[in-house]
Amino acid sequence: MNTTVEVLGFARDASWLPWAVQYFFLIGISVAAFFLSLPGFVWRRSKWLGISRRALLAALVCGLTAPVALLADLHQPGRFLNFYLHPNLGSWMAWGSFFIPLYLLGLIGYAWLCLRPLLAEMGQRPGSLAGLYRKLAYGGHDNLSAIKAAALAATLGGLLVLLYTGMEVMIVQARSLWNTPLLPLIFGITAMTGGIGMTALFEALTGNRQSAPLLNQWLARGIWVTLVLLLAWLILGLSGTSTAAADALAAMAGSFGWLVTGGWLFGSTLLTLWLARNHSNSLLMPALLALHGAWLIRWVVFIGGQSLPKMGSASHPYYLTLTPDSLLGIVGMAGLCLTLYIILTSLIPWDDQANA
Amino acid sequence: MNAQPDLSRRAFFTALPAVTAGLAIPAHAEDTATPHWSMLIDTRRCIACQACTMACSIENVSPEGQFRTLVATYAVTDQDGTTGMAVLPRLCNHCEEPPCIPVCPVGATFKREDGIVLVDGDRCVGCAYCVQACPYDARFVNHHTGKADKCTFCSHRLEAGLLPACVETCVGGARIFGDINNPQSEISRRLAAADGKTSVLKPEAGTHPRVFYIGLEKQLDGRVDGSSTADMMWRPGTQGA
Ligand code: SF4
Ligand code: SF4
Ligand code: SF4
Repeated sequence: MNTTVEVLGFARDASWLPWAVQYFFLIGISVAAFFLSLPGFVWRRSKWLGISRRALLAALVCGLTAPVALLADLHQPGRFLNFYLHPNLGSWMAWGSFFIPLYLLGLIGYAWLCLRPLLAEMGQRPGSLAGLYRKLAYGGHDNLSAIKAAALAATLGGLLVLLYTGMEVMIVQARSLWNTPLLPLIFGITAMTGGIGMTALFEALTGNRQSAPLLNQWLARGIWVTLVLLLAWLILGLSGTSTAAADALAAMAGSFGWLVTGGWLFGSTLLTLWLARNHSNSLLMPALLALHGAWLIRWVVFIGGQSLPKMGSASHPYYLTLTPDSLLGIVGMAGLCLTLYIILTSLIPWDDQANA
Repeated sequence: MNAQPDLSRRAFFTALPAVTAGLAIPAHAEDTATPHWSMLIDTRRCIACQACTMACSIENVSPEGQFRTLVATYAVTDQDGTTGMAVLPRLCNHCEEPPCIPVCPVGATFKREDGIVLVDGDRCVGCAYCVQACPYDARFVNHHTGKADKCTFCSHRLEAGLLPACVETCVGGARIFGDINNPQSEISRRLAAADGKTSVLKPEAGTHPRVFYIGLEKQLDGRVDGSSTADMMWRPGTQGA
């Protein structure tokens, strides 16, 4: 066997930047949080009512921020118009440009219908915004059939968003780390654990602790599935059953960075599981770890996946820099989430005192 | 229709009078059919001087650190411990089944009848999906335009009856460019002469490249298990301009 040293080669720098990580993270969490809002608002399960309220807030905060990250990745936001003027329906990304508005419009409609009674009630309270609340409440009926219809539209949109975000990445045969049928499932289940994490974080922020066992129970289930899927990928790669997974592992072989990343991923996932099972009354730490896990998976898939060479031996490691495309973008997105959280929680009470 | 270039640089010069005359006289019967442009790279003639890299960058005004073509160079040591140099000039393969095309959400990337795969810059949104889908790392998002960029087979030069810049500048005559629909073309004759000894990059990807190689080592036709000196080399952004 010949040994080679690439004396001169080139590796392209990552072209899907941290914006992509942020977008996939936020939109996944939003959809998952929306699903968590259904037991309380649609099926009216009393023990879910509080969780569902915070979940709806999480779905709105993340759902409204996500498209901003997507537009930022286009380098010039006005370009999004071409998605609608010249759609190529053979491309999953083109379908995504229709699924995102379907989901977001469904979500906004659903949120409004769920919040109408609360808005009407706030319109009755004295205050300078009372008139605005009354207008927004538009009668303030608690119309369960309308809520169900909007929930159906948002569910359809949300499922399609989960489908396209997974498929878009999975079908790229040129990227060995992406090209596995397990990827949409891994993205889907980590969206769920991330959505539970964001909801639990909002629970913790509103000082609500009684939902912790229920949320941690679902978090633990999600983490189990994540671990099974990650192990399945590893086994498929190590056994050579999946050529793409085997190729990705071969490209990572001997890299200390990948060893640390893999150890970190499995270690933090196990820690999340342990916390969710053994400290089921705590909210904040499992929540933060669940969010960390959902974000890390996307970071490893996107940024790590692009660093593996397609040709030659040169990899292109990504370095976080203080630029809008990098660290500042990530901080900016977090800032936008926080701003939306502050605006929404200032206008509408989301805690259990809210008489929704 | 004018005669189109179908020669390596060396042959181009020896046949210069015929070519210049060809620009003025009616084309051969074969030339009236739509050409199918292709490139044959004879790695035995390549000395890794990177003249093509420079010519392409200047001709196509590529941003610093972004290349449409480059000659990857390897030190290969065999079992006896003998080390030799192997080269791999890389560019877009103008694949017959290009995975970069179906993924484009706005249909901005397309294959012309003459085989050239191009990007419509007006339509491209710079989403880089095609960059991900290309198995050869042939594409990039141009730092200046924010849109997909890649080798065009110098289509603007072909229209003017000129050879691609990298072909014209090649010191060793390693790049042979021409119309594979025309059996009389230099490339067709060379391909016929090298029958069975040509290869393409990553044949298993099913892309059917239209850039052919003579003397390409199988070990180098895709991802190469080996070390790279890349981390020691200059990189835009990491070691300053
Ligand atoms: S080499 Fe890459 S960019 Fe060129 S046609 Fe093939 S897939 Fe497309
Ligand atoms: S970068 Fe341009 S050409 Fe490439 S897929 Fe996106 S829109 Fe199409
Ligand atoms: S054909 Fe033109 S664009 Fe393509 S590599 Fe050669 S010089 Fe560059």
